[in-house]
Amino acid sequence: MVDMETQAILNPLFILLAGAIIVVIVEQVGRRLKLPKLTDATAVVFFALTLISLYQLYLISKGQTPPVLTYSLKGLGGPFGVSFVVDGLSLFMAFLFAGLGLLVSIYSIRYMEKDLNLDRYYSLLMTLVAGMIGVVFAGDLFNLFVFWETMSISSYSLVAFRKYRWEPIEASFKYLTMSTVGSLMVLYAISFLYGLTGTLNIYELARILGASPIRSQLLAAYFLVACVVAGFGVTGAMVPFHFWLPDAHPAAPSGISAMLSGVVIKAGVYGIARVLFTVFNPNSFDFGTVLMVFGVITLTVANLAALLQRDIKRLLAYSSIVNIGYILSGLGIGAYVITHYQPPLSLSVAGLAVMGALFHIFNHAIGKGLLFLCAGCFIHEAKTRDISMLEGIGKHMAITGASFSIGLLGLAGVPPLSGFWSKLFIILAGYSITWDPFMIVVTTLIVLNSIFAATYYVWLMQRIMFRESKVKAKEAPASMILPIVILALLCVVVGLMPGWIIEAAGKAGLSLISYVGG
Amino acid sequence: MNPLNVYVFTSAALIVIGLYGIAVKRNMIKTVISIEIITAGVNLNFLALTVGTSFFTLAQYFVIVSIALGAAVASIALSMVIQAYRHYGSIDLRKLSRLRW
Repeated sequence: MVDMETQAILNPLFILLAGAIIVVIVEQVGRRLKLPKLTDATAVVFFALTLISLYQLYLISKGQTPPVLTYSLKGLGGPFGVSFVVDGLSLFMAFLFAGLGLLVSIYSIRYMEKDLNLDRYYSLLMTLVAGMIGVVFAGDLFNLFVFWETMSISSYSLVAFRKYRWEPIEASFKYLTMSTVGSLMVLYAISFLYGLTGTLNIYELARILGASPIRSQLLAAYFLVACVVAGFGVTGAMVPFHFWLPDAHPAAPSGISAMLSGVVIKAGVYGIARVLFTVFNPNSFDFGTVLMVFGVITLTVANLAALLQRDIKRLLAYSSIVNIGYILSGLGIGAYVITHYQPPLSLSVAGLAVMGALFHIFNHAIGKGLLFLCAGCFIHEAKTRDISMLEGIGKHMAITGASFSIGLLGLAGVPPLSGFWSKLFIILAGYSITWDPFMIVVTTLIVLNSIFAATYYVWLMQRIMFRESKVKAKEAPASMILPIVILALLCVVVGLMPGWIIEAAGKAGLSLISYVGG
Repeated sequence: MNPLNVYVFTSAALIVIGLYGIAVKRNMIKTVISIEIITAGVNLNFLALTVGTSFFTLAQYFVIVSIALGAAVASIALSMVIQAYRHYGSIDLRKLSRLRW
């Protein structure tokens, strides 16, 4: 029965939200029974269940042609109400969110053991992942906004989790102020779209706006594009709106830094990509140029700022902004060629660029997740975040140090590792139209920036791994090593056998640009 | 003047006032109030653009959900104000400037 199958869309969300409540009860039971690790184990089990339910969803959607599932809430259904739409891109992102969530919850068992109120920690972690999965599954803009706020509120609270210190409070208040204004800008744009068309269903909006190219209201439409880009760009840490990120990521516990940097900022990029590519057809709106320009500015500014950092987590936070720059440029190249060139050429180049950008989302999620978890291990042992104090610590912590180096080399784009491929695809797409000076200039800037970034990744690796060590440290506990080793192996395996993930990213990219059509 | 325009301009004005408040005011509570003013402006815009049309009912649902979300954000922000007051003995944002880029 079709209804039962589409009902499966709600399973991952139900499991996580139920888990968020159950974990609080389990904490009480565990306290009575003197079983302190019961809370952590429950959280791990619920994340594993979420991954299983996502896999079932993937199997169901594979049987459909086209592989798109829709579910509308009863009573408010149809093209007007609340709906969920799951396509290749949604599943690609959802697997990433739930997978990193599982690894972070395993990591937190030992990393967070000195903290109190772990039930709240895991509860918020689950609502964070539930919010992100809801954002990628949402089929209408208001649903997307509600899950967006669920995600944002959870992440403000998680950044301020260690509220007995001044730094998290300050960082989180800054994050809250900027990010809330950003989401309200998105809601402002949504209210105009609803007033203009009378629907919020993304595909219905695309049909209405595509059927009557609102040439007369072009200025108004560009105002909405600006609101969407700026609003989602705050969470995505695009450069003029990035100020919260280098404060919030170091202030949060390391597992949460890995979540924030690995996937939460990707939800911002997803918002930009989904709303712009689907609702504002790039055939009629030239937002590709804007995204390319912002992407390159993001790259350059964050690269320069990263060089000045002495705090290891702050340096990694700036490197996250750099990688957002690559992803935005990749998406921008895709939209730009669709606007400026004719179908057979433009669609193949855009397919390559968007696939590269999505592949880079994957690579950066595993790579930066890995780096933040490793940095968490170093901080856990050495009790400092200062790079000059952490020099040579990799000699004492062989497995963590080696994984850290793999992560750095992978993000630097050293050939057999994963980061190389995605950067290669973005750059190839940028150079594929040789007679367009704008694209050539932008792509050259991307290449120069990625060489520049590689130098400080290698420099950081040299300091952590090869200098004389100043601190005494021993290898981190096994449950903290396990997620790190899994992520490091993923970096290598994806680098050596990129075929399967290229296929997945390609399908995800197609579900973005197939609405553009010929 | 078209009554629709009055509401749309009012909501735009509320948003500008809120942004001004966030940019200029140094009191944390005033920052939270400014966020709430922007929320009010956006919600008003949602209703103003749909009043008198067939999809006004659904817009009311949306706005009620949006008000609830705004309340959640405000409560988190105010709890942070309390924590900041415990750390600094003040809610002046200039005192909270130890973090820079």
